[in-house]
Amino acid sequence: MVELKNITKVFNRNRPDEFTALEDVSLLVEERKVTVFKGPSGSGKTTLLSIVGAMAKPTSGRVLVGAREITSLPERFLTEVRRRTFGFIFQQFHLIRGISALENVMLPAYTTGEKHAALRERALRLLELFGLSAKARARVEWLSGGEAQRVTIARALVNDPKVIIADEPTAHLDTKLSKDFLGIMERLNAEAKTILIASHDPLVYESTMVDHIIEMRDGRIRGSGPAE
Amino acid sequence: MILHPAVIALLTGSLIVSLMIAYAAFWAYKIIDAWDLQSGSEQQLALEKKTYLVSTLMTYAFGFQVLSFFLLVFVADDLHRLFVGAMCAAGTLNVNEYGYPAVVLKVLNCLLGGVWLVLNHTDNQASDYPLIRRKYSLLLVIVPFLLFETGQLWSYFLNLKAHVITSCCGSLFSTEEEGFAAGLAALPAVPMQVLFFGSMALVMGSGIFFLGGGSGGKIFGVAGTLAFPVSVAALISFISVCFYELPTHHCPFCILQREYHYVGYLIYVTLLGGGISGAGAWALMSFRSVPSLKAVVPRIQKRLAWAGLVFYAVLSGVVILKMIFSDFVLIGY
Amino acid sequence: MSLHERHRNIIDFALSSLGRRWKKNLALTVVYAFVVFTLASVVFFTEAVKSEARAVLRGAPEIVVQRLMAGRHDLIPESHIDVLRKITGTRQVQGRLWGYYFEPSTGANYTVVASGEPPLEPGTIAIGQGVARTLNAGEGDLIPLKGSKGDYASFEVVRVFSHESELVSSDLIEMHADDLRAFFGVPEDYFTDITLKVRNEKELVVVADKIRRLLPDTRPILRDEILRTYDSLFDWRSGLLLVIFAGAVAAFVIFAWDKATSLSMEERREMGVLKAVGWETSEVIAMKSWEGIIISLAAFFGGTVLAYVHVFFSSAFIFEPVLKGWAVLYPRFQLVPQIDPYQVLALFFLTVVPYTVATVIPTWSAATVDPDSIMRL
Repeated sequence: MVELKNITKVFNRNRPDEFTALEDVSLLVEERKVTVFKGPSGSGKTTLLSIVGAMAKPTSGRVLVGAREITSLPERFLTEVRRRTFGFIFQQFHLIRGISALENVMLPAYTTGEKHAALRERALRLLELFGLSAKARARVEWLSGGEAQRVTIARALVNDPKVIIADEPTAHLDTKLSKDFLGIMERLNAEAKTILIASHDPLVYESTMVDHIIEMRDGRIRGSGPAE
Repeated sequence: MILHPAVIALLTGSLIVSLMIAYAAFWAYKIIDAWDLQSGSEQQLALEKKTYLVSTLMTYAFGFQVLSFFLLVFVADDLHRLFVGAMCAAGTLNVNEYGYPAVVLKVLNCLLGGVWLVLNHTDNQASDYPLIRRKYSLLLVIVPFLLFETGQLWSYFLNLKAHVITSCCGSLFSTEEEGFAAGLAALPAVPMQVLFFGSMALVMGSGIFFLGGGSGGKIFGVAGTLAFPVSVAALISFISVCFYELPTHHCPFCILQREYHYVGYLIYVTLLGGGISGAGAWALMSFRSVPSLKAVVPRIQKRLAWAGLVFYAVLSGVVILKMIFSDFVLIGY
Repeated sequence: MSLHERHRNIIDFALSSLGRRWKKNLALTVVYAFVVFTLASVVFFTEAVKSEARAVLRGAPEIVVQRLMAGRHDLIPESHIDVLRKITGTRQVQGRLWGYYFEPSTGANYTVVASGEPPLEPGTIAIGQGVARTLNAGEGDLIPLKGSKGDYASFEVVRVFSHESELVSSDLIEMHADDLRAFFGVPEDYFTDITLKVRNEKELVVVADKIRRLLPDTRPILRDEILRTYDSLFDWRSGLLLVIFAGAVAAFVIFAWDKATSLSMEERREMGVLKAVGWETSEVIAMKSWEGIIISLAAFFGGTVLAYVHVFFSSAFIFEPVLKGWAVLYPRFQLVPQIDPYQVLALFFLTVVPYTVATVIPTWSAATVDPDSIMRL
């Protein structure tokens, strides 16, 4: 699905605060599998996810999405790839306050030129799927943590991506909500979505649905193998 | 100098547009120098971001440039009272030697800006940005023209002193005078009509042929581009005369006035639109062989052909309607 | 996939974005509108006064001949009229009688003219609105005026000029020619100046030239020259005002630039979110540009309409003294509402263009935030 070859990411190159976030990382993300990146904070998990998800470009190395080499794509086209292929779930949810849950879900598809009514219909169906029909009109700041997370998931799904990327999704959730989240991910995986999660929460990496675990430290992959 | 509000607006506007373009050109130069899409360096990422800035600046500058053309004509018309012998914009512009160059440069820069935007749009459709160096080189070519225009405009207004005796448009564009403008006015009406309608027919024919079959894009491009100067000449030679219903009045600016129901706007906008469509289609011709643009260029050229057809059709329509419904007969002048 | 639908969605979002920060945006719009209002008032007022002056002078004689004595305007002998009549191309040569009268109690200068056709009865006068206002006089009142010999003569007001013609007639006192001669002590066979009309306007300059040669002690003044002087005078005044207001515009532009640069954390985060969920830089720029266009439209429209009301329905009470210059008597005339596309275009260049340009770079730099930036928040 996504292949990384010798990826290095350096921030502030040739400056005193130069910082190498990833060093010579190679990786193959398999389709329809659940992969978890584990490791302490600062180990490069987030940077790796952003490169896999076509959000950032590596300083060197190559990234292939499907068969397409995306490293040399300008941002304009990279965005197109990202929009079609990846759905993101952020640690802090990052919903836009002041607008409704429904509008938040519709947001990623606003610029695709899809008919507003059709888009709305689709977004409503997604919210219904997550039991949020009643909250569709509510502003996101009035939602509970669990509801907000489900809105975030719905937003990640609105463009029907092949890959779902979640960065520390359970960091702000209690055990019950975390389990709910994992349940949703399992369902999506069953629906043929590839799932990538960065987490240092045992609840996540010890979950039975995980196919593959990649351990990271200091910007390098320290270990990789199937989940026990 | 004349401290008229609209003069201040024009001078400010030209300065702002020049600054915008100069700033865009600065980054254009940097991009030409260091662009490397294969690189993931921070410098390349920063340059990529700058392309958005350049595009935005150029789009706004183009819009302002087109509007400022109309403002310039308006100001010139309003100021004609200050000059003995000037009866409209044409006379005011003739007060010193900077007036007409400023107008001509403004029109030229509008065309160049339009073509640049067409190139930019085309380039942005291909993921390897194949025209990036060429389009930014064109931008560097536009800069001196624009700065020259700004210089002419400032010189024009700074050297404008009321009460100077000037020729009015009646004599500037009258058939007895020497000079380029008079030369255009003196072009015999009937052959000029043949030339104008002939070029319109050529644009229509080649455009429809191109849209139908996909070949002949070059003919349309060339025809659409050349139709622009032909139309300007026709405007001075016989179109304006039709509207004024005065055989000796060839001024191309008075049609922008209320007395003529602002029909000049329609004529100028269609003319400029047609010219940019034609020149844009022509400019793209040589990029049909670029691998990543193979599919893109014909598509954009077809869109330009559509636009060109509509613009020139409206222009011809306005002229034909006026010629039919005007009691004024040109034959013999 | 349609461009139209895409922009509709982007505009939708821009509107909701403006609404979510309505306090800040309202403050910006109000300041913006005020700047537009100020400049628009100056431009509208100037143009209106200029066209008023043109309308007034349209009926004026094409040439006025004044006699000069030692370089100063002097009374002109009746005999000059016959000389002028003989110049080919002239018609309607007439002597005019007029002068100024200073009223010490009000501090105002009135223009006294001999009445034309039909003449007023001796002993009666017609006065302008300004005179009526300052002297607190109406029809039927008797007004004492101090003549050149120091004696007072009383005149009965038989008419007050209407409002419409107020710009010209405001300070006017019209009386019978004989009364005027007696009042100012103008000798029988002299006039203040001579007016003449010309058959063919194109010969104006030729006629003026002939006058200068035939009557070397006179100075012919062309109506067009007066018009030019008026025009350039008002252009100059309003231009000067605009230059003064340039400071205000500059301050506003800096204000707008600052507002666009110092986005709140929340706004930055929003743009990061848009980028992260799949908006492209040019789409974020488009969204921000729409915000700017909406603000500009609102402010420009609001400011222009307010200025229109200010100038044409409240007589430009704020700028009047500066622009009109010659004061006391002209405080309350109504200008004829009129607006030209080029005035609007000029205002656009003086306000919207600087605003837009000031916000381009801040907008761009906010829109090019890295999409992965929000993952690090």
